[in-house]
Amino acid sequence: MLSWFIKTPAQRPLFYVLVSALLVLALCCLLSLLFGAGGLTPQASLQTLLGNGTADDEFTVFHLRSTRTLIGLFVGLTLGIAGALMQAVARNPLAEPGLLGVSAGSSFAVAMALVMGASTATLTVGIAQLGALIGCICVLGAARMQGQHNDPIRLVLAGAALSSLLLAMTSLILLFDQRAADEIRFWVTGSVAGRDTNTLMSVLPSMLVAVACILYSAKPLASLALGERVAIGLGHKPRRIRGVIIVAVALLVGGATAIAGPVAFIGLVVPFAARALVGPDIRRTLWLCLPLGPIIVITADIISRLVAQPAEMPLGVLTAIVGAPVLLLIVRSRRLPTL
Amino acid sequence: MTFNRPIFKKILLCACLATSLGTFAAEHTVNTKYGNVKVNDDVKRIVTLSEDALDSAIALGFKPLAAVATRGGDSVAEYIQERVEGISIVGTSRQNNLEAIAAQRPDLILASASLSKDQYSILSKIAPTIVPNSPGMVADAWITLAQVYADALNKTEEMNVILADIEKRASNLKDKIATKLPEAERSATLARWMPQGPVVMSSQIFSTDMLASVGFEINDAGVIKEGRPHSSPLSLENLSKVDSDWLFLATLNTEGKDALDAAKTSPSFSRLNVVKNDHVVTVNGQLWTSAAGPLAAHAILDNIQTVIDTKIK
Amino acid sequence: MINHSLSMPDTPLDASTPDGYRLISIGQYAHILIEKQAIIRNTWLLILLFCASVITLGSGTMAISPKEVVAVLFGQGNTMSQFIVQDIRFPRLMAAIYTGAAFSLAGCLMQTMARNRLATPGIIGIDNAAMAFAVSSVVGMGISLAPSFMALAGAATATALAFGLAGGSGTRGYRFIVAGIGIGAIAGSVTQLLLSQVSIDVANSAYPWTVGSLSARDPFMVNVLGIGIAICVIGCLLFSTQFALLPFSDQVITGLGANIKHIRIIALILCITLTGLAVAVAGPVGLVALVGPEIARVLSRYRGIPLISSALTGALVMMLSDLFGRTVLSPIELPVGIVTAVVGGPYLIWILVRRSSRSSL
Repeated sequence: MLSWFIKTPAQRPLFYVLVSALLVLALCCLLSLLFGAGGLTPQASLQTLLGNGTADDEFTVFHLRSTRTLIGLFVGLTLGIAGALMQAVARNPLAEPGLLGVSAGSSFAVAMALVMGASTATLTVGIAQLGALIGCICVLGAARMQGQHNDPIRLVLAGAALSSLLLAMTSLILLFDQRAADEIRFWVTGSVAGRDTNTLMSVLPSMLVAVACILYSAKPLASLALGERVAIGLGHKPRRIRGVIIVAVALLVGGATAIAGPVAFIGLVVPFAARALVGPDIRRTLWLCLPLGPIIVITADIISRLVAQPAEMPLGVLTAIVGAPVLLLIVRSRRLPTL
Repeated sequence: MTFNRPIFKKILLCACLATSLGTFAAEHTVNTKYGNVKVNDDVKRIVTLSEDALDSAIALGFKPLAAVATRGGDSVAEYIQERVEGISIVGTSRQNNLEAIAAQRPDLILASASLSKDQYSILSKIAPTIVPNSPGMVADAWITLAQVYADALNKTEEMNVILADIEKRASNLKDKIATKLPEAERSATLARWMPQGPVVMSSQIFSTDMLASVGFEINDAGVIKEGRPHSSPLSLENLSKVDSDWLFLATLNTEGKDALDAAKTSPSFSRLNVVKNDHVVTVNGQLWTSAAGPLAAHAILDNIQTVIDTKIK
Repeated sequence: MINHSLSMPDTPLDASTPDGYRLISIGQYAHILIEKQAIIRNTWLLILLFCASVITLGSGTMAISPKEVVAVLFGQGNTMSQFIVQDIRFPRLMAAIYTGAAFSLAGCLMQTMARNRLATPGIIGIDNAAMAFAVSSVVGMGISLAPSFMALAGAATATALAFGLAGGSGTRGYRFIVAGIGIGAIAGSVTQLLLSQVSIDVANSAYPWTVGSLSARDPFMVNVLGIGIAICVIGCLLFSTQFALLPFSDQVITGLGANIKHIRIIALILCITLTGLAVAVAGPVGLVALVGPEIARVLSRYRGIPLISSALTGALVMMLSDLFGRTVLSPIELPVGIVTAVVGGPYLIWILVRRSSRSSL
C-alpha cells in the first residue's frame, strides 16, 4: 500500500499524493473553523457547525472564521503557484516573489495609493498588481542578466537589493503622509483577517486571466526546464512564454498582496515541499502546489490566532519565521541546484 | 581640525548669558528626567518640541516661537492653530531639526518625555531643556506633564487654576450625564478601526482620562496589559469585548464620516450593539489620540458636551 | 582585471615588486604592496573630502560662509556659528564620514568575496537585525540598554546566527549570504510586528532607526566606530595581497598556494565588524555599500580592489547625501537613509536591467 512512499519522488503516482494532500487540506480547513482567538472553544465551534450554536457563535464560525479560511485558501493558492512558476522561469529554486522584490513592488504601489488618498479598507487590486508587475519586470531583467553561467544567488541578491530599494522608497513617500504611514504599518505585516468576500470577488477576474496564462504556457514551460535550445527545438518561443508567465505571476502575487498584504516565503516553501514529494517536473509540482499552498497558509494562520490571544500575531511574521529555515535548508541540502 | 575646548566653553557661557541679557532675574530649578535644570524665572523665547508642551505654554499665555508639526500634518494641530499664527516649524514628531531650533535662539526648550539622551545633550547646550520624567501610562499622566511645563515656565499657580477649572467643568458635565444616563449605560471604548480589527486605545491615555472624568467607564477589553503602554489590534472574534454602550471612533483624516462608513462595510463592526444603537461618536484623531494638555482638554470636553446635547436624550 | 604578476602571499615579496607598485615591509611578516596610482588617487579623494567637509560645515538651516567655517575651526568666529559648527554639524559630519567609509569598505570586501557587485553587507541581515534590536529598545520591550548598543548586539546576533546556520562561509560566502538574507527577513518582520504593536508616537520615535539617520548620534558609538575603522583599514592593508586573489577562481587561488577559506573568513570578519559598528551609529543605510565601491572601481579603472578608495568615496557619498537631506526640504530634515536610497536606487535599477553586465568584478 505504502510502496509509493518508498519510490523516488519522480516515480510516485501524482494522483495518490494529490488526494492525500487534499485530505490534509480539508482537515486544515476544519481546524481553521474550530480554533480562534476568541472565547469560542473548539467543542462549542463543533456544536455550532452541527447547527446548535447561538447567533453570536454562528457569526464567529460561519462568518469570521469561514471567510478568513477562504481568504487563506486563496492566498496560499496564488502564492504557491506564483512561486512555482517563478522558479521555473528563473530556473532557480530560490526564486520567490517575496525574496525577489515582487511583494515589495506591490507594497510600494499600495503606499503610493494610500498617499494619493485611498485607505487600506478600500484598496483596489489593480494597483497592487501593477506594482507587482513592475517588481517582476525588474527581476526579469536580473534573470536575463544571469546569461550562460546560471547562478541562483545572483537573482536572490538582485531581488534583495531591489526589495531594500523599494522599501526605502516606500518610507520616503510615507515620510510625507502620516495617515498613510499609520495605516500601512498594520498592512505590511500581512494578515488574512478582516477581509470580506467582496475583495475576493474583485480579484477573481484577474485570476481567471492568470489561469488562462498558466494553461497556455504550462507545457512549454516544462520543456523550457530542459533548456532554451530544447524548447526552441520543440517549437516553443521561450521569450513569449516567459513574458506570459511573468504577467501571470504579477497578477497572482498582486492579487494576494492586495488582499492580505505581503506574506513572505510561501512561494519558496510550497514548491520546495512539492518537489520533495513528486519530483521536479513542473507539470506535476504545479498540481501539488494547489493544495500545499493553502495547507501552509491556513496552518500558519491558525497558529497566528492562538499564540497572542486576545490579539493576533500577524501572519507575515509567522511565515517569515517558518520560511527562513526552509531557505537555509535549500541552500545547505542541495548545494544550490539549478532547475 | 581639533577644537580648543576650554575657550569654546567660555564663549558658550557668554552666549548663554547673552541670550538672557538684561534680565539678571532669579532662577528656579526644575526637576527633569536628565537631572535638575536651572531656568530663568522670566523666559521669553520658548521652543516646544511636543504637543502637550505647546498646549500648556499657550494655555499659560505664552506664544512659543517654534514647535514641531503634529502627526499627519505639516503644521501644529488644528484645534490650536489659530492661537499661534506664524509659528515656526522646527521638525516633525519623528525628527527635530537641531539647527533650526538653535537658530530661534530660545531661552527655554520644552521637550517631550521621550526625547533621547543624545538629542538632549545637544539641545541643553542651546538653552535649558525640560524633558519631563515620563509618568508612564497611568491615569492623569497629562496633568503631571502640564505641571512640569508650568513649573519650568514659573507659572505653577496659574496652571493649578487652569486645571481646577477643567476639573470643575468636567464635574459639571459629569452631573449632567448622571442625570441623563443610567449608571448601567456609561461604559465607553476609544478605538481606531483597521480592516484587521479595531485598535483599542489604553484606558490610560489623555482622552480616555477625560472621558473617565466626566463619568464614562472606560472599557479597553483588558488588552492593555500592565506596563505595556500600547494600543493593540484586537482579534475580530473578540469584538464583543469592546461592545460598550459608547464607542468613540478616532480617525486620522478629518473626515470622520468616511471612516465610519468604511468601518460599517465590515459586518463584524455593523453587528455590534453600539453601532445598532447609533452610539458611535467619530472624533478627530489628531485631538483625541495625539494631543494633550489644558487646551486639548477643553476641546475634548467641547466634543463630549456636543455628544451629551445631541446623542443623549 | 589584474594583469600584473602577483607574488604568492606566503613567500617574502622582496624578490620582485611589480611595476607601478611600492612595497612597504613592516618587520619580517607584514608586507604591504601599494599601487602608486592608488596613492595619487586617494590623495585627490582626500582633498575632495576635505573641501566637501568645509562646504558641509557651512551649509544648513543657518548658512555660514566658508571663511567663517575656517575661522570657527581655529577657535574664532561668533558664538552662534561656533555652536552650530562645533556641536551640531561637526559630530554629524564625523558620523557621516565614519559610517560612509565603513559601509563602503565593507561593501567592497563583500562584493569582491562574492564576485558579485550586488552583494552588500546591507542585504545579509546585519542591518535588519540591528534595526529590530534598536527598535525593540526604543519601543521599550523591557530593555533599558541604549538603542545604539542594542543595534550592535543585534548585528552580532545576526552574524553569529548566520555563521552558525551556514556552517562557515561556504563557497564565495554564498551560504552565509543566503543565511543572512533569511535572518534579515525574520528580523524585518519582527520589526514590523513591534511597530504595529505600539502607539504611533512610540513608532515615530523609533523611526530614525528604521531608515537610518545621522542626527544626534551617540558620540561614544561614533568614537568606537572611528577606532574600528582604523583597525579594519590596517587589517585590509595587511591582507591586501591576499584579498587581491579573491576575484580569481577557487582553483587558481588554491594553485597559488593560498588558503581560500582563511582569506574568506578574514574578509568576512572585517566586513561584519565594519557593518555592525556603522549600523550601531546610523541605522540601516545599506545602499552606500553599493554606490561607494562602484565609484571607486570606476576611478581605479577596474584595476585591483580599491579598498581605500572605496572607503573615501563612501564617506564622500554619505556626507553629500546627508547635506542634501538636511538642506533640500529645510526646516524638515530628510533622514540620510532615504536620500541614499533615492541616489542609489536609479543606479541599482541600471545594474539590474543592463543586459550584460561585467559578471565578475
